[in-house]
Amino acid sequence: MTRPSAPPHRRGPARPARVARLVGLLAAAAVSLTACGIGAPTTSGGTAFAPELAPDQKVDITFESYNLSQAGNWTDTFTELLGEFSREHPNITVKAQKPQGTSPNGVTNAVPSVQAQLATGNPPDVAQLTFGDLDFAAKALGAKPYDDLVGKPAVDAQFGGEHPYAPTAAALGNLDGKTYGMPFVFSTPVLYYNASLFTAAGLDPNRPPQTWAELKSDAQAIKARTGRDGSYVDCLTQVAGDWCYQALVRSNGGAMLSADRTKLAFADPGAVGAVAMAQDLVNSGASPKLSQAQAYPQFARGDMGMLLETSALQGTFQKGAAGKWDLRAAPMPSFDGRPTVPTNSGAALFVLSNDPAKQRAAWELVQFLTSDRAYTAISSKIGYLPLRTGLVDDPRYLQTWARNNPLLAPNLAQLARLEPAQALPGNDYSRIQDEMMGAVETVVYQGADPRTTMSAAQTNAQALMPTQR
Amino acid sequence: MTDRMRAVRGHVVLVLVGLACVFPIYWMYATSLRRPNDVFETSLLPWPLSLASYGEAARELDVLGLLANTTLVAVAVAVGQLLVALLAAYAFAAYRFRGEKLLYLAMIGTWLVPFQVTMLPNYVLLYQLGLLNTLSGVVLPQLLSGVGVLLLRSHMRSIPAELLEAARMDGRGSWGTLWTVVVPVLRPALAALAILLFVTAWNEYFWPAMVLQRSGAVIQLGIRGFLGTEGVRWGPLMAASGLACLPVFALYLVLQRQVVSAFVRSGLR
Repeated sequence: MTRPSAPPHRRGPARPARVARLVGLLAAAAVSLTACGIGAPTTSGGTAFAPELAPDQKVDITFESYNLSQAGNWTDTFTELLGEFSREHPNITVKAQKPQGTSPNGVTNAVPSVQAQLATGNPPDVAQLTFGDLDFAAKALGAKPYDDLVGKPAVDAQFGGEHPYAPTAAALGNLDGKTYGMPFVFSTPVLYYNASLFTAAGLDPNRPPQTWAELKSDAQAIKARTGRDGSYVDCLTQVAGDWCYQALVRSNGGAMLSADRTKLAFADPGAVGAVAMAQDLVNSGASPKLSQAQAYPQFARGDMGMLLETSALQGTFQKGAAGKWDLRAAPMPSFDGRPTVPTNSGAALFVLSNDPAKQRAAWELVQFLTSDRAYTAISSKIGYLPLRTGLVDDPRYLQTWARNNPLLAPNLAQLARLEPAQALPGNDYSRIQDEMMGAVETVVYQGADPRTTMSAAQTNAQALMPTQR
Repeated sequence: MTDRMRAVRGHVVLVLVGLACVFPIYWMYATSLRRPNDVFETSLLPWPLSLASYGEAARELDVLGLLANTTLVAVAVAVGQLLVALLAAYAFAAYRFRGEKLLYLAMIGTWLVPFQVTMLPNYVLLYQLGLLNTLSGVVLPQLLSGVGVLLLRSHMRSIPAELLEAARMDGRGSWGTLWTVVVPVLRPALAALAILLFVTAWNEYFWPAMVLQRSGAVIQLGIRGFLGTEGVRWGPLMAASGLACLPVFALYLVLQRQVVSAFVRSGLR
């Protein structure tokens, strides 16, 4: 599927996610028990830079990526790239593997898989983990800051080059002033819409809604005049995760955390206002009560007017729309004209190895996978957003591809205003996220009072925050 | 008349339940036969028909290789479990020894312990044995079936003691008695249990998903490749799932009479 879509965020059935979490918890317990023995991550403080490899120095490393869980272009593209890397670095042998685990969604398996392997003392040397896992990866999984592995100038040089990273993208893997995750693939929330339904409802298909108020009235018009559902915001359930919900909250002046990352803020007025707006969409009939698994196939079928979604699903929508209805994309709507603050889904590359030679080999691999050449292959063959945005203007790389894929434009445009989705802190970060998103779901789809529900959830979740940082 | 009405009502309920059971399987094959752009359609009859999803599944997955691996694992697990259960059940049924009850309860107890409790120790053990990411690693921890021991021991206890005594008087040892007397008597129960174990092993997803991190592993993990962050690719997913069901369907069709007979005669209904 050579569609312009972009990357991953947590998605998938809730039950496998719980099973994956159980695996993770068991593995975490085992890691704790063996913390003084095999598998205990070492601290990076005071570590010398990983030494350059001698030309004849043979090194084997393991690269774990959830992209390898998916058959077709995903696995094929990575296999091809790793083949190229092996030819360029004959002394480095990369064993590529997908995360182990039972969830059909490889993203959900990513952290529990690393935890289980840590329990054996043999974690992957390089792992692709989501930005939401950043804090946990740095503090519990033993991810090494690149600044300590190769020095900050080398990291900055990697973000630069002929086609540098978008400035907003380069900082996504940073924590406490250091780069723990090399930003790899991501998306921003994009409003996909069915221009054919707009026309059928008497709306102008060239004027998608700019604000949530406009989205509500357009959705109601579609519902009333075509009988199809108007809109769905795939940011409001536990299954959807919190990356996109964070964009809603921040666009309404709210936040997830206090500036010092010690206090949760998801019951502040900005967040409560965002949840209340979403509840109003449902109560007014502008949005149906559907699960994520029901909503996106319905949109792909052409039976829904609008869907706020990661561009990771763009390929699916294009397949569903081909020859049947007119698929278009627009930036996410704003709250009454205030500028939107898109946040990101997606993943970064983390180095987990404790061995200096493997660390250097891992850095070579990370450099290759985030190079101009690699992004050209990844974007054109898989459809991910190129983080080196200049590639789309260069005829040697992605210019032709970008011209043929106008759906890419809103996503690229939103990069300018991108702010990193906050990675929640502590070992219980996923439970905090569940508490928050569970409350959002209860408000939006079950009609609970926004302020009291979010306040109660914040109180519960605050107890899960790390006490000392 | 009342009886007739009752019978009709009963049959209507059975037909409805039967349709409810068959419909997901029908929908799987119906979706697999739609054209790629029609997979989101909800019409009951897929038309026009297309084999494109099967082509896509075959291009991206080594379906035959995966089916061969899955067959190997399922047969190894089923045969291994059957052998272990047969020998253990024979020991528990034919001998009295110190700690017999405790050992038996411990063995049966493995049936009651949730798999999630033992998976991490098993995983670490496999790592230490160097069996992670291998088919042997999938098979090894599954070689004991507590339920198999329980069922076969119950059946063996129903064999008349005189029969075993007669075998002993004929000069047969324990080994000879097991294979020439006990096994022939238990053939229906063994056949039913073997089918049960094979189908369970064929459908196993959890443990292979923990152990295997390579693509060319077993069909259940191969199918998972069509599910992912970038959405579900329903066409090839349903095509591969349909192909994965075929060996079990074929087994059932070929052995239909024997399967039903075995279950009826063994009491495993």
